[in-house]
Amino acid sequence: MDAFDNFLTGTVTLFSDPLGIMIFFGGVIGGMLFGAIPGVSMLTLAAILLPFTAHLSPEHGIMLFSVIYCTGVYGGAITAILFNIPGAPENAPTAFDGYPMTLKGQAGKAVGAAVMCSALGGTISTIIMMLATAPIADWAISAFGPPEIFALVFFGLAVAASVGAKTFWKGWLSILIGLMVAVVGLDPVGGIKRYDFEMPYLLAGIHFIPTILGFFAVSEIFVQAEKKAKGSYVAPKLSVDFPSLTELIAHKWAVIRSIVIGFFCGILPGIGATLAAFMGYNEAVRWSKTPEEFGKGKLEGVISSETANNAATGAAMIPLLALGLPGGALTAMMVGVFQMHDMEPGPLVFINSADLVWVVFAAMFFANVSILFVGFLETKTIINLLRIPFQFLAPMILLLATVGAYAVRGLTIDVIVMFLAGVIGFFLRRSGYSVAGIVLGLILGKIGEQTFAQAMQMLHFEWSGFFDRPIALGLLIVGVITLMGSVYGEFFKKKPPAAETPTS
Amino acid sequence: MGKLRPGHLVEAAMWLGLCLFLFIYSFQFDQDIEIYKFGATAWPRAIVLLMAIAALGQLYHHWKRGDEASVQMISAAVDDGSEEAAHEAHHEGLKWYASTFAMLLIPFAYMRIPDWITALLAAEGGSVHVIRIVVAAILIGIFLYTMRRNMIGAMLTLPLFFAAMLEDMGFYSLAPFFIIGVMIMFGENRPKPMLAIMGLIFGLLMLLFVNILYVGLPVGNIHPFYDIGSWVVTVLQ
Repeated sequence: MDAFDNFLTGTVTLFSDPLGIMIFFGGVIGGMLFGAIPGVSMLTLAAILLPFTAHLSPEHGIMLFSVIYCTGVYGGAITAILFNIPGAPENAPTAFDGYPMTLKGQAGKAVGAAVMCSALGGTISTIIMMLATAPIADWAISAFGPPEIFALVFFGLAVAASVGAKTFWKGWLSILIGLMVAVVGLDPVGGIKRYDFEMPYLLAGIHFIPTILGFFAVSEIFVQAEKKAKGSYVAPKLSVDFPSLTELIAHKWAVIRSIVIGFFCGILPGIGATLAAFMGYNEAVRWSKTPEEFGKGKLEGVISSETANNAATGAAMIPLLALGLPGGALTAMMVGVFQMHDMEPGPLVFINSADLVWVVFAAMFFANVSILFVGFLETKTIINLLRIPFQFLAPMILLLATVGAYAVRGLTIDVIVMFLAGVIGFFLRRSGYSVAGIVLGLILGKIGEQTFAQAMQMLHFEWSGFFDRPIALGLLIVGVITLMGSVYGEFFKKKPPAAETPTS
Repeated sequence: MGKLRPGHLVEAAMWLGLCLFLFIYSFQFDQDIEIYKFGATAWPRAIVLLMAIAALGQLYHHWKRGDEASVQMISAAVDDGSEEAAHEAHHEGLKWYASTFAMLLIPFAYMRIPDWITALLAAEGGSVHVIRIVVAAILIGIFLYTMRRNMIGAMLTLPLFFAAMLEDMGFYSLAPFFIIGVMIMFGENRPKPMLAIMGLIFGLLMLLFVNILYVGLPVGNIHPFYDIGSWVVTVLQ
């Protein structure tokens, strides 16, 4: 009952504040819109908004990001289905069957299924998150010290390296760049200057906001500039049809299976919605009696992918709020929002800022529910907005990013750092490196080094001390196994002769 | 040589060179910390070591499998089309990279050259501003001349050049030209829509950030840009 009371309190707080309501609906619409527009993503919007959250209360800032997270994952499905252009990697499997459905004249049904299943997967995941996060945080307060947090960071990075880039080695190199950028500035124990190159600007370290803006918003514009010769998008006419109850019941196992897969993928740091969507889709193919129909416009393909990726969103908040560890790029930006308000996410947030947590939970719940209604109404508007040529959108995004980077500290060098990060991100992306890995390394690098130093001091610099701490040891072992598995795959596994997943 | 291409060797050499540089530079801050026996260098050196191992691993991967994705990676999720776009646009050769990196030097030239000239001429007061404007004009000329041959290089350079000049020329004077520049880079060449969109974007930004949110944007510190910026702020606020 406690959770229900807290949820009601969070709901009342959310909807009794006009600014909160505006931010909520702004986030719902903005997330869907940026998720849907090819060439930008919810991460672009989040990166642009990140500096301005300093002017909002922590509740509003975190709430805005969590709402964008929920609706942005859905928004990417629209373009995946209509144009075969996934708005984000987590929508890629949606295109496998969604686009063939469009070609068969069933776009309305595919979008309707995406709306319904995104709402369903996200809502159930949020309910589980509300019930599970507080107990996990309570347990974490007593069970998680610096050695455990360091081990979890290591595990998260080991998993993230195997997901984000073209090759395992490029995944690791991406994360290591992020870790190295985090080293610049003063060392966390002795305050010794590192890699400052005698530049006063670098003494405080490279600020994460210009870096995130550069890697996500700016590099995306550069990539689009290179793609521009490939033609523009023509918006088709569309009506959104919900699948019938019979159709939905016929796919109940696909929905349940995808919710379970999505939730467990989301809860593991470093994995998130992308792997959830692919696993949800792959399992749907594996369990199907007619696997040969996948990739040719099967409704179940859209259902399984969209349910799984949205089910991951609620789960991804658990490690962030209960342990203070982000699992992906957007949750890493949420750490930034906390830090801008001199707060640290983690178990103590439940004691010190319980109101904040429940406002965020309530907002996520209603954001997922609103996908059902707003998604139905807004999809047509989004399709019309897709007519805006990218050459008019690009300068707007670049200038918003400029204002955002400058507004943080009033330094033009932050703007230079942002555009430089954009250029570096552009070259790294086209070479198969992962910018999400870099940002995760940057955010987790500071936490990792600090907790490693604290852990070693606590364990009197005896590595064997980890053996006396089962959780830390367990996480380190799983991290090492993940790493070794990837290394084994790299050296000994052979690529299958044909692609496993259809690419429509 | 396996499936190695010269580009793979260059990539590996860049990573290993970076590792070597970072390792050597770490001796600059190799100090003991009383309460922490690993000192300030252990963590960065561990990262450098792992980077070197990963770079060699990547070289091995290229040698055995060329540009293939790793078996266990979800290649469809990773592929955002940027590699394909680069390939289709023929932006992969040494000549293209050399021309792009040469263009990218323009903003950095603006950050350094005026200071060198000022020091050389022992210039003071208004003449420092004249030097900065003249250098900017020359570099803009070079940028415009080279952009026709390498539009992507120009697209990468333009925002950096804009950022480099922001301190001197101010946001209010540069932003309209920047908006038009980006539109041109994206292939827009109709003057009327460009002017209309520029007015719309600039107007919206001014209204939101200067008039409503009171965000202080750089006004510049060179005459007449400083006067223009200050005038815009005075009018809007």
